[in-house]
Amino acid sequence: MKNSLVKRILVAAVTAAMVLSMAACGQKEESAGGDDASTEEGSTNESGGEISVDVILKTTASEYWGYVKAGAEAYGEENEGVKVEVKGATSETAYDEQANMIESDLNSGAYDAYVIAPLQADTVTTLISGQTAPIIAVDTKIEAPEVLSFVGTGNEDAAAMGGEKAVEVAKERGWKEIKAIAISGVQGDGTVNARLAGYQKGVEAAGGEFLADETQYADAVADKAVTCMEAIMQNHPEGIAIIACNNDDIAMGAARAAKDNEAYKDTIFVGFDGIQSACEAIIKGEETMSVAQEAYDMGYKAVEAAVKATQGEKLDEFIDSGCSVVDETNAQDRMDTLKSYLG
Amino acid sequence: MKNNKRSSGFMSLAGTFGALVILCVILSFASDKFLSYSNLMSILKQTPFNALLSAGMLFCLITAGIDLSVGANATFCACIIGVLVKSGMTNPVILILAGILTGTLVGLINGLLLTRLHLPHPFVSTLGMKNFLWGFALLITGAQMINGFPDGVLALGTVTVGGIPISFILVVVLYIMLHILLTRTALGRSIYCAGGNMEATRLSGINSANVLTFCYVLSGFMASLAGIVSIGRSGICNGANALQPYDTDAIAASVIGGASFMGGKGTMAGAMLGALIIATLRNGFTLLSIESAVQNMVLGLVIILAVLLDVIRENMEARARRIAAAQQVSED
Repeated sequence: MKNSLVKRILVAAVTAAMVLSMAACGQKEESAGGDDASTEEGSTNESGGEISVDVILKTTASEYWGYVKAGAEAYGEENEGVKVEVKGATSETAYDEQANMIESDLNSGAYDAYVIAPLQADTVTTLISGQTAPIIAVDTKIEAPEVLSFVGTGNEDAAAMGGEKAVEVAKERGWKEIKAIAISGVQGDGTVNARLAGYQKGVEAAGGEFLADETQYADAVADKAVTCMEAIMQNHPEGIAIIACNNDDIAMGAARAAKDNEAYKDTIFVGFDGIQSACEAIIKGEETMSVAQEAYDMGYKAVEAAVKATQGEKLDEFIDSGCSVVDETNAQDRMDTLKSYLG
Repeated sequence: MKNNKRSSGFMSLAGTFGALVILCVILSFASDKFLSYSNLMSILKQTPFNALLSAGMLFCLITAGIDLSVGANATFCACIIGVLVKSGMTNPVILILAGILTGTLVGLINGLLLTRLHLPHPFVSTLGMKNFLWGFALLITGAQMINGFPDGVLALGTVTVGGIPISFILVVVLYIMLHILLTRTALGRSIYCAGGNMEATRLSGINSANVLTFCYVLSGFMASLAGIVSIGRSGICNGANALQPYDTDAIAASVIGGASFMGGKGTMAGAMLGALIIATLRNGFTLLSIESAVQNMVLGLVIILAVLLDVIRENMEARARRIAAAQQVSED
């Protein structure tokens, strides 16, 4: 008897917890997509003239993609008669999940245009083969005749810009031998490879030396980056001018690992993405700089291009959404802007 | 008989220790940086996170269970602390307590799911918990990475005493306490029993439900400490990390150290050696800048080899026992 009472209480508690957490999700969605509902209402008033755009991102569960999502949704909110639906895989390595998502949406026929940020571009090329609805690639290029336009900067070009800038700062800081080592993300990932290639190109173009054989892979995680940085300091007690990182988590972890090492006090830690916490770290001097793509503009311009395509307008093959290097001179401005995007 | 068992356990430990020594010898030839004092201290800094998770995992494995949520739990605890920091809380004592409470509570829920709601195997429930915590961690942090932790919280992952990281000292102290618990107390014996034969354990008057629940609570507690160590090491927390294969590393450390999925086996000393072997391997990989494709292969082979050796050893022991028994019969 007593046992069953305990059971019942537990069941109730677990159910309550689930319901509560669901309610919490619901609330968030409501507040994030509150204007979504209003556009829907607006569109029902206009009979049938609505353009529905399906935006499939790599994931929605990271700050960077949060900005792309905000930009895409903002276009929908600002333009009546445009309905934007944003979705993404649960993580940036959930390749199959995204492929299934793209497949189901293409087959559903519920959308007039698609914006896709491919996790694996080659897979998406196969999936979209023969499609007639306009398809726009965002953030990462898809090589396919069905894709009308690519909106983004290209990870490689952005990283190259960061590499060049890092060499410049290294010269200013008085490094005689400008050597760079990369702490990369997940080996074999397309974005990761593009950033790595970009760093190498940028560093070498500006006259630095890129130690490609010593590239470390930290799976995009800060605590593994610490382990990698500890090894780099063992191998190079003399100090290394530039540590080029695949994202801001890695840059901050690596910078932290080298904090008390005198030989590394002038080292330049280059991150990637320029998210809010990175801006904060750059202001405090914990991370030197971060390569930032304009994620919000990317989302906004991609949906804009998709809508134009449905109206029969001809698009440029490449729409540059811009990128910049965040350092201590502009970190505060950027942080304020980013905060305003997420509301 | 008992003596025999103890000596075979010792042999197995000695074998694992031998593997660690051989590994160190190979690495010191491969890289002239490996044997330096600062690198050895690096290894001690790199061990605690996995060692803490492995301790909890070992207890679950001994009971023939498993806790796949350890890594996600550690990340989740770090994120809870991160969210509190972001909301303006700066008192390190409260922050650390909040983290520990969270992890322990998650462990308690894992345990209750198994023992009171009778979910079949903890593989399923803790796998579910892992995904839940991953999502929950992203939800509460707004999928943002958080930094700016106060020094008191960072201390566990950063402070060193004479070069030795206090996180490692903590691990050693906890491991000794858990070793005493496993080998010298009634609870410890019950844990081994629960892994052997649940029904027999229940019939012999041990409250096996409570014993099992204890193991998962302990696992959650250790995971929360690992979460705090990870904050100190990296200075940040990120909910996306919950998906990292931390649980596999913990299983690997336990299994290399002599634990078995059949339960009833495994020691703290073994788990410690397992965690040290994995940390040393990873340290060597990074020193030599070996690409992660190869790292994954080697780590996989090490796990398979460890289990294989264990099986061979057990078969040999069984044969020796049979021969001894046969001899006794013929003597009679």
